[in-house]
Amino acid sequence: MKRLSILFVLIGLFFTASCGLQKEGLVLMTDQSYKASVFATNKMGFGSPDGLIWHKGKLYIADEGGSALEVWSKADGLKTLMDSSFGISSPEKLVVDSEGNAFFTDDDVGGLWEVDAGGNRRLVAGRDKGLVYTKGIALAPDGSILVGDGEQHEVFRVTRDGAVSEFIGKEYGITRPEGLVYDDKGNLYIADEEDNVLYMLDPNRNLHRLIDRRDSFSPEALWYVNGLLYIADEHFGKVYVYTPNDGLKPIATFAGSFKQLQGITVDDQGDLYVAVQTDLKHKVGHIIKLSKESTEVAAR
Amino acid sequence: MIHALVFSTLLMSFASRLTDLNNQLSLFINSVAGRSWLFDNVVAFFLDNDLAKAGVIGCCFLAAWYGGKTTEGTNARRKILITTLIASVFVIGTTKLLSHTIFLPRPDIQTQKIFRLEGDQLVEMKRMPTRIPLDEASQKDYRALLSGDVQTNDLGSFPSDHAGFFITIALGIWLASRRLGLVALGWTVFVILAAKMISGQHTPIDIAAGGAVALIELSIIQYAAQQRFGRLLDKLPPLTLRYSALSSAIIFAVMFEVSSTLTHVRAFFGLLAAVRRHVLFGIS
Repeated sequence: MKRLSILFVLIGLFFTASCGLQKEGLVLMTDQSYKASVFATNKMGFGSPDGLIWHKGKLYIADEGGSALEVWSKADGLKTLMDSSFGISSPEKLVVDSEGNAFFTDDDVGGLWEVDAGGNRRLVAGRDKGLVYTKGIALAPDGSILVGDGEQHEVFRVTRDGAVSEFIGKEYGITRPEGLVYDDKGNLYIADEEDNVLYMLDPNRNLHRLIDRRDSFSPEALWYVNGLLYIADEHFGKVYVYTPNDGLKPIATFAGSFKQLQGITVDDQGDLYVAVQTDLKHKVGHIIKLSKESTEVAAR
Repeated sequence: MIHALVFSTLLMSFASRLTDLNNQLSLFINSVAGRSWLFDNVVAFFLDNDLAKAGVIGCCFLAAWYGGKTTEGTNARRKILITTLIASVFVIGTTKLLSHTIFLPRPDIQTQKIFRLEGDQLVEMKRMPTRIPLDEASQKDYRALLSGDVQTNDLGSFPSDHAGFFITIALGIWLASRRLGLVALGWTVFVILAAKMISGQHTPIDIAAGGAVALIELSIIQYAAQQRFGRLLDKLPPLTLRYSALSSAIIFAVMFEVSSTLTHVRAFFGLLAAVRRHVLFGIS
């Protein structure tokens, strides 16, 4: 019996080894016109990315796993703009203004941080001004920066000189404003990742619950371009596109080790880039590109 | 170095052939689905109905539990069956662990456009022409898949936890009573697991892996029960006879759970996890 047990164990080990498979990433395309490819892995030099943004041919990365803000370009490769030596810990979401100044939040040490176009780094407003657990971020039309706070359940307005005021108070009932983005009509979209709701604050400051599907929808990051709102869903590993007329349409489902979606952005060609935290603890991440099949053909 | 290279090449070649064989077998078994509304509904009934699916296994277990002709015989059977229940817990844990380390998409998912990570590249997987059964639940799930409304927790099929769990129980019954065990094993393989493969939920490799885990762990735990914990386990069966009303109530509750594929226990653990999150992190 003892020998038989050992034999079974050996057979089992051989069987597992013969499968030759690790837990792997998988992208299931719902929108058949898209194809998925790996844009970047850790070999590029980042840890585990959260927020992403394409700006003038450069990809800015809020690297949560690597505790750094980084920028990548084809010519220069990956460069670190700010790291933990400046006091940041867990960069979350980011925006870049038209002058090339990058702002980002940090859901560990809190605050709003900036690396300007000249490479100067500073804390715009910190915990002492009430920015405790900063999550979503958006550039307001008036040039100020909106910052969502997941602990205080509010959205704050922060001016460039660091003055902080309440923009959306607790009374609106938003629990965790994880993603923020303006559309071209002045509507502010808010992704509440804890209550699993997509809100829209119209220019008259009326708050609308656009999507409220607690069982299968949990918006994390938002990106708006050309009348389309792109949504990355962290808990359910999905990428959606939303329009007021067509509603919510899934583009792809990420599964296996790719399930944790964080940031989403679109480049000038209209290709989607999704930040995947493959293993945050071990600082492993991917940036996945979703491009239209026709775009690839046209490019050739 | 050369030996390692040759060995890894052989292993990869073997794995590739195994995958091809698995796909061919899977499609062959699934080829009977999607042709007859009646047949597909019968298969779906045995998949969805707890009494038809696992109730038979529960009945076999209870028959083995109470079926000893002598006190010694009953004690011996109950010792094996108690050990089997312990082994089934380990088997569930192992299959869960394996499902978190190895990811193979379900055959019905593989009808869609899927990109899989191979090295540093996403490679489009060859689509499997899996036939979708005509019963209402399967058609509804397929429509949900096409519209992207899929649960990411349920995309992987490796290994089959149903195979692991029911083969453990059926083998345990077989160790206690050959006739009842054959009924339980036959029902597990030809009804429960065949239905899983026909409907495109699992491939033969998923089932084989679940079965292998069951066989290995049940063997080890039965061996350990005989050799290491024999004295301790010898005390339990006489207790079940002495306190027969209580033990009957407990074994009824256990078989109720086995027959419902541990649905209520899972819900209970889900509640515990939610309570933990609520108490520790304040998440409601």
